[in-house]
Amino acid sequence: MSAVAPRPAARRRARRRRIGRLAWNVVGLAVFVVVAFPVFWMVSTAFKPDDEINSFTPTWLSTEPTLQHFRDAIARPYFWDTVKNSLIVVGAVVVLSMVVAFLAAVALAKYRFTGNKLFVVLVIGILMLPQAGLVIPLYVVLARYGLTTELMGLVLTHLVILLPFAVWTLRGFILGIPKELEEAAMVDGSSRLGAFARILLPLVAPGLVATSVFIFITSWNEYIFANVILTDQSNQTLTIWLSYFYGTSRNIDWGGLMAASTLTAIPVVIFFLLVQRKIAFGLTAGAVKA
Amino acid sequence: MTVAAETPVHRSRRRRSRLRQWTRASVPYLLILPAIAVITAILGYPLYKLVVLSFQQYGLPELIQRTGVWIGFDNYASVLRDDVFWDTLLRTVIFTVATVGLTIGLGTLIAFLLTRVSSWVRVLLTAGLVLAWSMPAVVAVQVWFWMTNLQNGILNHVLTEAGVGDFAQHDWYETSFSKLAMVSLLIVWDAIPFVTITVYAGLAQVPRELVEAAEIDGAGSLRIFRDVTYPILKPIFLILTSLSIIWDFGVFTQPYLLIGASQVDPSNYLMGVYVFIEAFGQSDFGRGAAISLLMLLIVAILSVFYVRRMVKMGDVR
Amino acid sequence: MNVRAFAAAVLVAALAVAAVGATGASGGKTADTLTVWLQVDAQSGWPEVVAAANAQFKAQNPGWDVDVQYQTWNTHLSKFDATLAGNSAPDVIEMGNTEMTKYMAAGAFQDLTANTFPNKSTWLAGLAKSGQYGGKIYGVPYYAGSRVITYRTDLFRAVNGKIPTSVAEFSALARKLGAKNKEKSFSPVYIAGTDWYFAMSFVYDYGGTIAVTNKGKWIGTLDRPKAVAGLTAFKRFYDAASRASKTTDEVRPNPYDVYAQGNAASIQGPAWFSCCVGDFKNRTAQFVMPSRTKGQPIPGFLGGSDLAVPIGANKAQAAAWISAFTDNASMTALRAKGNIPNTTSLLGTSVNERAAKRSWFVPTAKHWVNVENGNVLRTMLSRILTNKMSVKDAAEVASDNITFTLNQR
Repeated sequence: MSAVAPRPAARRRARRRRIGRLAWNVVGLAVFVVVAFPVFWMVSTAFKPDDEINSFTPTWLSTEPTLQHFRDAIARPYFWDTVKNSLIVVGAVVVLSMVVAFLAAVALAKYRFTGNKLFVVLVIGILMLPQAGLVIPLYVVLARYGLTTELMGLVLTHLVILLPFAVWTLRGFILGIPKELEEAAMVDGSSRLGAFARILLPLVAPGLVATSVFIFITSWNEYIFANVILTDQSNQTLTIWLSYFYGTSRNIDWGGLMAASTLTAIPVVIFFLLVQRKIAFGLTAGAVKA
Repeated sequence: MTVAAETPVHRSRRRRSRLRQWTRASVPYLLILPAIAVITAILGYPLYKLVVLSFQQYGLPELIQRTGVWIGFDNYASVLRDDVFWDTLLRTVIFTVATVGLTIGLGTLIAFLLTRVSSWVRVLLTAGLVLAWSMPAVVAVQVWFWMTNLQNGILNHVLTEAGVGDFAQHDWYETSFSKLAMVSLLIVWDAIPFVTITVYAGLAQVPRELVEAAEIDGAGSLRIFRDVTYPILKPIFLILTSLSIIWDFGVFTQPYLLIGASQVDPSNYLMGVYVFIEAFGQSDFGRGAAISLLMLLIVAILSVFYVRRMVKMGDVR
Repeated sequence: MNVRAFAAAVLVAALAVAAVGATGASGGKTADTLTVWLQVDAQSGWPEVVAAANAQFKAQNPGWDVDVQYQTWNTHLSKFDATLAGNSAPDVIEMGNTEMTKYMAAGAFQDLTANTFPNKSTWLAGLAKSGQYGGKIYGVPYYAGSRVITYRTDLFRAVNGKIPTSVAEFSALARKLGAKNKEKSFSPVYIAGTDWYFAMSFVYDYGGTIAVTNKGKWIGTLDRPKAVAGLTAFKRFYDAASRASKTTDEVRPNPYDVYAQGNAASIQGPAWFSCCVGDFKNRTAQFVMPSRTKGQPIPGFLGGSDLAVPIGANKAQAAAWISAFTDNASMTALRAKGNIPNTTSLLGTSVNERAAKRSWFVPTAKHWVNVENGNVLRTMLSRILTNKMSVKDAAEVASDNITFTLNQR
């Protein structure tokens, strides 16, 4: 039996797969354009001079791009302090919430104990509560602890708002792990907790990443609580700093606002790029090829 | 083998094993302790206060004097008697169903798309999704409005140029329906990245060995999805759907800003806007608390199907 | 990934908390610090006035420091509510003049009737009224701004238009401008359909009012003959002068953007609109919107701010700072920036100030804010302009709504 016969068939299959892939790529790029267009619009506006922004006919890309809006934004009071504050708050919130939530999620998903169901219901119940009603009572509590105008107060607030979400979601990811993989780990007689740590974590890593990105972005962009708690202009986060662009009673500096927003998006993208490698982009264990 | 009397060795061994049992039993409680501690310390009082306020007349004067007036169920009664409440509720339920459906549907489709494209397209598309996700709500609303405004919006421009029809100066915000449709699209656009990335992360949990084993057995891709992929993704879909219902039901920032503070009225209220205008915006905290608790109840009913499944999932273990 | 890594994560978390705790704990204010909340307009517009007032206050009150926190208009009230609940309200707060009544009625401010302030006897009447409730003074007038017409001198010259001295003259001029520029997107006078600040000027010009109070009860009066006459006059003027959308508000789009795009021969709005007229800067001037009576300005809405002292604040020092911030030197500086000072003794003859000669103000009812938030007047105007309802019917609906809302508990 000659070995030549299968090759043309294999080549046809390979070509079909390539064309299929090309078609999917086109679709993917089309989706990219639609999804990212508002971002493009924001960034392109940031580079336009003021008269172009307000002109009757919209322009795709500026004919005379300018960096003036960025310079103005950075020159506004407290810019770098505010960047530092936002990074501190979000960093602390992401680390703390992921650790605390992961512990709780493991307990809820892996252990049978009285109060398990009750705690799960409590978690989802807090998620269902409209936050508007909590603002002032929460402020009163923080004032009693002496944490208003302090970054710590905001960290605790974000933690408490995002913990239920993180617990709920991580529990789901852990529950989704196929039993076979767990049982394989138990066989070698290691302690339950040790097995969880060694086997569980790599498997839920993509879930951890997705959840942590959500927490990062939510905490980064959170405005309502930050605005009420951090009343001191020298100790605020970027979302509050951003609100000064559109909070005057006079004309709004759209170019400045778009430039400022573009700047605030940068750390998010950096964070994502750092962690995205864990979501199966190149991960060998568990990559799907449907 | 004779049954030996219990020696001190046996007793200490039993004590040790009981200690180990106790330690093992207390592990879950220790694990959830930090979460419970944080939540109780910070949210305990506000949750209690919210319930108490809902039974009180508590406006600005009461806030300043620090005492509320007990009025029993009057807040609830006045809300439940209000026609606007029921109209808004119906409108919000329809809005939620449509928005959640679009979000989960499109988000999942894009997640599967991610598995089929070359890696450079995958990185680009994911970066685009994260950028879209990271835009602050206020800025996203403003950009969306610019794109869709009737005078010089790019949407009208593109639709007219593409020959879909004459959309020059078309007002996308004319009727209540179109206003809410615009809001819905904005929220879908904003929510898709999270759904896509989470579903994709879920897909990454599906072990390649199982998929390949099924392929070797001769299963087609639909069979593989049903038997291998979906069981693993099921909790994720339940989570995403339940979360989307909760968030979309109570959404406030996007409808209020996109429709515009001067254009919101009872014909286009959503629950989040309603509770702001009728309660918190008027500094009527008692009424606001009552409406908040009613919203909690309603959203629990709306999502009970998904939530119960998620809660029960832990039983199988 | 193992227990060691896990322990490392916990350590990092602990360090993060410690870091936050360390950096977050700001140096702490000295025991004698006066907290002042001003709007961001002062930070960008006249920071030197603030600095001068601070210096003067500190010189006169040794041992005291001033911490000025700038706020934004859209959120400063919810922040204020929270600080009132948490017992950490500022010592001085800038409030919009339409925001005052609700808080005065709730007892949020301290009584300033007995204190002396610069020019107290010559305070601008329209502005001073917004700081008074129940016969007592709770707010010190800070500054005001009125509404003027910003117009294209070249377009007016092209139709031989002179500055109109009555509404009738303006309507005729508008028709001439409209005949010369027939495009749908061009307005001789760009007026947003639901711009109730402008529409109510007509109501007050005809002697009508929005609401009156009698023995503690409020009655909406837009359905009375004089008010209806004013609304009808507004509709007449609008049909002659504006091709703007009849249902949109005065912010989307911004009138000055429409003007800068070349789509309006004139716009009405605050005097600072002249900042943003694009290429037409040297072809732009302003005049006062005239009344139905020749030679008189129409009553204009006087926007402005007051300064108040919340309860629990250091009243004596707060009043001292306010005095330093509203003295003649400060008022002269504010006037130089295009604002209207709080005293008639410094009133000049700029267009802005002449327009303030006749002014109207919203009913000083504690629930007035709810009428505004409920868009009662806007809905009425869009119904009138789109002919969905007659003037009288729309006014009746609005009036009943106002009566109901203002009399709530």
